Amino acid sequence: MVTLTRTTVAGRERVRGRRRRGEDLTKILFVLPAAVAMLALFGYPVVKNLLMSLQDYTLRTFFTGEAPWIGLQNYSAVVKDQLFSDAMVNTALFTIGSIAFQFAIGLALALFFRQRFPLGGLLRSLLLLPWLLPLIVSSATWRSILEQDSGILNRSLLGLHVINDPVPWLNSPSVALIAVIGVNIWIGIPFNVTLLYSGLAEIPDELYEAGQLDGATGWRAFRYITWPNLRSVASVVLMLGVVYTIKVLDIILGLTGGGPANATQTLATQSYEKSFVDFKFGQGAALSNILIAISFVFAVFYLRSTRRAVDE
Amino acid sequence: MISKRIAAALAGATTVSLLLAACGDNGGGSQSSSSSGDSVKSLTILDYYNNEPDKTLVQKGLDSCASTLGITIKRETVPGETLIQKVLQQASSKTLPDVLMLDNPDVQQIAATGALAPLNDLGLSGDGVIQGMVDATSYQGKLYGLAPVTNTIALFYNKDMLTEAGVQPPKTWDELKAAAKKLTKPGRYGMAFNANATYEGSWQFLPAMWTNGGDETDLNTPQVTEALQLWTDLVQSGSASKSVINWTQGDVNDQFIAGKAAMMVNGPWQIPALNKNPKIKWDVVTFPLNKPDQKPVAPLGGEAWTVPLNKDQAKEQKAADFVKCLNSDENELAWAKARYTIPTKTALLDEYVKEVPSMKAFTEQVKTARSRTGKLGDKWPAAAKVIYQAIQLALTGKASVQDAFKQASGG
Amino acid sequence: MRRTAYTVIGVLILCVMLFPVYWMLNASLQPSGNTLTAGFLPLHPTFSGYKRAFDEQGGNLVTSVIIAVGTVVLSLAIATPCAYALSQFRSRWVSIGLLAILISQMIPGIVIANALYTAYERIGLLNSIPGLIIANCSSGIPFAILILRSFMMSLPPSLVEAARVDGAGLFRAFVAIVLPISKNSLITAGLFSFLFSWSDFLFALTLTTKGGVRPVTLGIYQYLGTQVQNWNAVMATAVLSAIPAIVLLIAAQKYIAAGAIGGAVK
Repeated sequence: MVTLTRTTVAGRERVRGRRRRGEDLTKILFVLPAAVAMLALFGYPVVKNLLMSLQDYTLRTFFTGEAPWIGLQNYSAVVKDQLFSDAMVNTALFTIGSIAFQFAIGLALALFFRQRFPLGGLLRSLLLLPWLLPLIVSSATWRSILEQDSGILNRSLLGLHVINDPVPWLNSPSVALIAVIGVNIWIGIPFNVTLLYSGLAEIPDELYEAGQLDGATGWRAFRYITWPNLRSVASVVLMLGVVYTIKVLDIILGLTGGGPANATQTLATQSYEKSFVDFKFGQGAALSNILIAISFVFAVFYLRSTRRAVDE
Repeated sequence: MISKRIAAALAGATTVSLLLAACGDNGGGSQSSSSSGDSVKSLTILDYYNNEPDKTLVQKGLDSCASTLGITIKRETVPGETLIQKVLQQASSKTLPDVLMLDNPDVQQIAATGALAPLNDLGLSGDGVIQGMVDATSYQGKLYGLAPVTNTIALFYNKDMLTEAGVQPPKTWDELKAAAKKLTKPGRYGMAFNANATYEGSWQFLPAMWTNGGDETDLNTPQVTEALQLWTDLVQSGSASKSVINWTQGDVNDQFIAGKAAMMVNGPWQIPALNKNPKIKWDVVTFPLNKPDQKPVAPLGGEAWTVPLNKDQAKEQKAADFVKCLNSDENELAWAKARYTIPTKTALLDEYVKEVPSMKAFTEQVKTARSRTGKLGDKWPAAAKVIYQAIQLALTGKASVQDAFKQASGG
Repeated sequence: MRRTAYTVIGVLILCVMLFPVYWMLNASLQPSGNTLTAGFLPLHPTFSGYKRAFDEQGGNLVTSVIIAVGTVVLSLAIATPCAYALSQFRSRWVSIGLLAILISQMIPGIVIANALYTAYERIGLLNSIPGLIIANCSSGIPFAILILRSFMMSLPPSLVEAARVDGAGLFRAFVAIVLPISKNSLITAGLFSFLFSWSDFLFALTLTTKGGVRPVTLGIYQYLGTQVQNWNAVMATAVLSAIPAIVLLIAAQKYIAAGAIGGAVK
């Protein structure tokens, strides 16, 4: 497979060389609509968010338009906040915990559904159902499931004698984060399954047939055929997973509101709270820019890894 | 495929103009859409009564005032927790409505930005309105809003459960704790309240804190600590669920209706839901006292109607007239009766209780009630945050009752 | 025999994954709208929530579908050529573009919504379906570009070259070869554009100011007052609104299965 790719890349270079000039315009036309759309939708908000974080942007600003420049004061204020380090740790645990399990379970299910069996397609489609429910509804449902006294989870676990005392899923500062991560994993699995499944579907059957002749079956087939060919899809799934998970807000707000006793505060909930509870919009923007900076690091890693994949 | 290409190009063009528009001047004076002069034909209104039956009941009051003034109204309703967000958007694009409803503790904060018109200059006054509400809707000595009706919280109890346990409705905290303990049995708690990490959690704590003489201007006092001790005792003795730190007032009511709580702190807006369950026999008493010589002090709820500043003087005046009409005696009584709220004019209270006896305890409670922003003004939200954080710390055992307020205020 | 075993395992997995959905269904059939006193089965179901949802949310449901489908079409139309270009063309701008796209996904939705509100207010796109479609494309387009690009990276370039040796231009080759082969990934990207748009609440709230255009996510709030919540109707609306969407998704699924993806490669 590796050699195959290499020769065709070389071949493509030749063809491209010949036609380069005449097609520059077409290439621009390919990218232009998207570039314009991205600029229109995001250009202003990005700049606005950056400027806001350097201003004393308060409730008053919305009415008067006045927002004095205060340099990096917002950044130093949020970093010095007593909750910042907790929120940072929680964000890391939340993101890593969510992504690791979502991806692992998602990949396992995607491989499972690649086996052809009756109703497989239907079952896989139904897996997406959680994504069709408004988040306010799914978080309310999860709250009722995880309720300490009357929730169905504790009732079932007690009934099955798995536990002796009800677990304070959302009520104990030491358990709540785990429960919130669990719910987020549940929400993320369909995303991972669907994308990874599509990635698996793109791998030509011929490769497996050829591999079989060389004795690559089971784990070896996964290691030498599936994984290398899934890599570009898997890395984008992971990348998007990080970007989407790190800014998760509604689920946490819906389940715990950042509580109990701030045990589930993340940078995203802190940013929301600074802006819309404390009305310190400058500090809220500073926090979200810190989040952007963190994702930026991941994005750079992602780009390096995909570039290597192309070059191979 | 060509058509797809065109579609893409068209979409591109739209977004470009979008970008240009977005980058255009932000603070500039986009005119409020109207002709000046005394012929004001219509007013725009923004409120958060977005669910039934309130939406329709409020609409009736608005419509009747519109026809009194000979105008039409364009009303927008948004979900409660998004109202402020909406107001900010409209403020920055200069598209605020002519008449704006605000939750009473928000009035001073918004007034402080200079967005609202002082109503005294437009011929309105707070005469005859309970002092707590005037405090809430005034800022730096000027009146910025008027609330036709108000509400508060008190102690609901399940009559059958209390009778069965041989318990009288508690009048003091000791009685409350004893009653709650006695009423607790497997599958049922004696007491339910909301101690979640929102302003609602602080609001539910205020009856205990204020009745005991605690004050938001200084949260590090024995009076405040004792109130927190009451909440903590109820939870730690098992008379209230540990889940109170996650419950909303709606959840509390659900627990009560499901028979999983014998008493609860809640407001009169739950009465329609309670009445839908005829099996539940309930009554209300004012919040218990710590010491017999105290009087119950609860927080005032309810929404005020304000008039955002308007370049169009005639429109601003008309909007003020409209707010005045909403606060007429007839409308106050009509809304109070239909929506289980309480008129804000002291003179109407006796007549109201005569007509709606089930609101007796709440009306009593309102007479002595205080507004959340009465003392601290726009500094109240910061104090409220310390209060709910402290409650969370104490109830989860992350801090002792003595240290909770200090820790929550970052000390 | 082995295949049936797979089906059984598949059903079991689904039962675990969809239990919360079932629990919501159970709640929607309880008079209280909650499961505080409910057993595993709703033995005394009430359909009052469904009646309300049916009477009051039908129009909103249609609005949601139109907006979601519009978002899919517009997102794919703009994203697909771009994704292809980013996957096949070599330029340092590719990395910069990808970085920009990833960063764009980090901007808090509320900041975008606020900016759009100001813009829409001026150009008259408030309270309009096209306005909401464009807004929802802010999640659809970047997502589709990233996903489609990662799939198109593994397209065998030999296919396009074969066509181009025959004299087809870049654009013709894209339409005639790339698009048909990418059907699978197009549907996947479209699927998520649909889901993003379907679950949007923020844009719907920000960019509408009156009742006319109202997706279900916003309509559901007419049961969620500041003080009183009618969970029975909320849950019923959630169940009802999921039905047309899941039918649509299953149809798309069938379409993938029936597609001649493998054929094109061979």
